[in-house]
Amino acid sequence: MQQLKAHILPGNKTTAMAGPASPLTTHVLNIAMGVPGSNMAINLYRQDPSTNTWSLITTGTTNADGRCPGLITKETFTSGVYRLRFETAQYWESMGETCFYPYVEIAFTINDPGQKYHVPLLLSRFSYSTYRGS
Amino acid sequence: MAAAESSPLTTHVLNTGDGVPAARMALSLHRLDSQLMIWNMLSVGTTNKDGRCAGLVSGGALSPGMYKLRFETGSYWESLGQTSFYPYVEVVFTISAQEQSFHLPLLMTRFSYSTYRGS
Repeated sequence: MQQLKAHILPGNKTTAMAGPASPLTTHVLNIAMGVPGSNMAINLYRQDPSTNTWSLITTGTTNADGRCPGLITKETFTSGVYRLRFETAQYWESMGETCFYPYVEIAFTINDPGQKYHVPLLLSRFSYSTYRGS
Repeated sequence: MAAAESSPLTTHVLNTGDGVPAARMALSLHRLDSQLMIWNMLSVGTTNKDGRCAGLVSGGALSPGMYKLRFETGSYWESLGQTSFYPYVEVVFTISAQEQSFHLPLLMTRFSYSTYRGS
């Protein structure tokens, strides 16, 4: 039903949910404290190549392991430029701390949607890193 | 002390994949207008052969607010005849009243990058 809706209303955003494994995954790690970054709000956007505007695809929150299953389905995962936005300051604030980065956005290019892409975020209050993982 | 050294915002871009500074990378500094919720570009620059970019900020300390440093990493890799996973990198950070100087390096390869608040 979700997939039908996506065809009728292109760009209709969904809330991340469990199901067949998403071809795009993330993993947030709080490397300052040595724990997963859990309960962090994240959003996935895709850029329309003809207008360069961004559409919100999925909204989610990381689980206790810092992961967010169900970011996108194989059917809706097309080539293009995507952006993952992590609400990092909100995350640190919930623990009574400040963060140098109000949010972190990672823009990446998907040329072959048949592959799997893992876009983790390793984070402290004053640093972060990301890489294309597996 | 040279004026560039006392700039309130400095950066250093390193191509850690090749073990060299990332020279001739375009970058730009923006400030968020929190009333209109739009980004205003404050300056543009290009990294020198040491991967640094003097003169990003003129006229003293940066006022408190939200800023964004945008690195044209995709164009940089293209100029080397390579592709990259990231079309660009944007680092958004908050400056509060008490703070004076900021060093925001970018360490990157074609498939990874990291940044931190340095000195």
